[in-house]
Amino acid sequence: MEPGQQNGREGLIYLNNAATSWPKPPGVIAEVTKSLQNPYFEHGRTTAGCAVDYPTAARETLARFFHAEKPGHIIFTQNATDSLNLLIHGFTRNTTAPFHTITTELEHNSVLRPLHALEMKGALSLTTVPCTNNKVSLAAIKAAIQVDTRLVVMTHGSNVLGSVQDIKPVAEYLRANDIFFIVDGAQTAGHIPIDLACIPVDAFVFTGHKALFGIPGIGGFYLPDPAAIAVTKQGGTGSDSGSLQQPMEMPTRFEPGTHNYPGIASLYAGVRFIEEVGIDTIEQKAHHLTASFVQALKKTDTIIIYNESPDLPVVSFSIDGMDNADVGFILARAYQVITRTGLHCAPLIHRRIDGGRGCIRASFSWFTTMEECRVATSAIREVAESAHH
Amino acid sequence: MKEYVLDEPLTENFLKFLENFGTVRYLDNLRKPYFSFEKELFISIKGFAGDSNVEVRYKKEFQDLTGDYFHLLLYYSRQGPAGIKQLKGIEESLKAKMKIRMGTHEPGSE
Repeated sequence: MEPGQQNGREGLIYLNNAATSWPKPPGVIAEVTKSLQNPYFEHGRTTAGCAVDYPTAARETLARFFHAEKPGHIIFTQNATDSLNLLIHGFTRNTTAPFHTITTELEHNSVLRPLHALEMKGALSLTTVPCTNNKVSLAAIKAAIQVDTRLVVMTHGSNVLGSVQDIKPVAEYLRANDIFFIVDGAQTAGHIPIDLACIPVDAFVFTGHKALFGIPGIGGFYLPDPAAIAVTKQGGTGSDSGSLQQPMEMPTRFEPGTHNYPGIASLYAGVRFIEEVGIDTIEQKAHHLTASFVQALKKTDTIIIYNESPDLPVVSFSIDGMDNADVGFILARAYQVITRTGLHCAPLIHRRIDGGRGCIRASFSWFTTMEECRVATSAIREVAESAHH
Repeated sequence: MKEYVLDEPLTENFLKFLENFGTVRYLDNLRKPYFSFEKELFISIKGFAGDSNVEVRYKKEFQDLTGDYFHLLLYYSRQGPAGIKQLKGIEESLKAKMKIRMGTHEPGSE
C-alpha cells in the first residue's frame, strides 16, 4: 500500500499525531455520524429516549480504560488545556493564602501559562524542576518541596522528547505528604497502559484528539475527590434547575452547559477501538516504528536527534545549518511529509535542548506504517544532505 | 501567512533581485530546488524554483505597513536598477514608520 493510500490521501505522510491524530478509525467517524443522526439524549435535558446516552457510555468506557474506580468522576471538558485550567485555577481558588507549587521544564504551556498567570498575581510561588536525561526524578521533586508546597503539576509524557515520567512513586510520595498532584496525560493516554487504580494521582488529565482518536474539542480529567477543586463555572446542568446554586454532585458539578456530544461520541468510539486493538499491541508497534525512524535518521550526522530513545512515538530533531521552518516547509511541499516545527508550546524544554530555537517533530500513530517512516526518513536525509552538499 | 498563486513561476532573475533587499537561501540539490527570502520585520517568502505557489509571511505588528511589500517586489523587479532604487526609497519610509511604532529600537537593515 502506498504511503497515505490507506487514508484516502495518496502520497500524504502525516507525522503530526502528537498535535492531533489523523486519520481517525472508521468506527469513530461512523459513531460521530450516528450521533448526529438522532436527537441527543441526556438526563434532564430531553424527553427523547431513542439515542445512545453518550456521556454515560463514554464515562464507563474511559473508567474501564484507565482503571478508574468512579466513572461519575470522569469530567468532560474541551481538551487538556481546558481541564488543566479548571483544575489549576480551581485548586488555587480554594486556598486562602499563597502557596508553593512545583512543576517541571518539560511542561506544555497549558500548564506553564496558568501557573505563570497565578504567580504574577501573587497567588502562588513556583519552582520549575529541570529534567535529567529527559526525565524528572522523584528526587528532584522532593528536593524542590518547601514547607508551604501544596500543589505539583507534572506531565506524564513530554510532547517534545517523548519521555514518559515515572509518576507512580511521585504520586505515592505526594499523597503521603498531602500535596495535591495533577498529571497531564495528554501525550500518554492511548499510547501506553495507564492504571489509575495503582497510581494515586489526585487528578489525571486527558485529551480526546490525540492518541484516543477522538475529534478536536473534547477532553477531560479524572478527579477521584473533588473537594480540593473549587467550581469556576456555573450554569445549567439539567438538574435541580430551581436552585441558583451549582449542584455539587459529580459530574454535573464541573459540567455546566450542553455537552459536545459528537466529541463525546468520538471519544467513546476511539477508546473502544484502542481496546479492540489492544494498548500493548499499540505500544509495541509504536516502539518499533520509533526505533526504526531514529536509526534511519542517525545515518546522517548533520541530523541532530534530541532523544534517541523516546518512550512515546515522538522524534524531535533538527538539521545542522538549516532553519527548522524551512525544513518543515520543504518536507511538506516537496515530499508530502507533514511534521510540526517550532517550540511545540513547550518553551522551557527547548531552552535546554536547542537554545530556544525549536525543532522539527515527527510523531506517529497506530495508523502510521513502516513504509511511511522509510519514505519520511529518506526525505529528511535528502534534505539534510542537500544542505551540506 | 498568505499563500499566493502567481501567473507564472518565480525566475532566477527575481531571486537575484531579492538579494538587494534581504537574505536569500537557495537549496538546489533537492527534489525541487527550494528558496527562501527573509527581510527582518518585513516579510519572509518560501517556495520552490519553477513553482507558481509561494508562501509569504508578514510580521503581525507591521502587516498594515508591509502588506503590499511582496507585490512591490514583483513590480519593481521588472524595472531594472531604477526599480531597486525606488523600492529602497519606499523601504526607508516604511522603516521610519516602524521606528516610530517601536519607539527607539532600530529596524533591521541590510
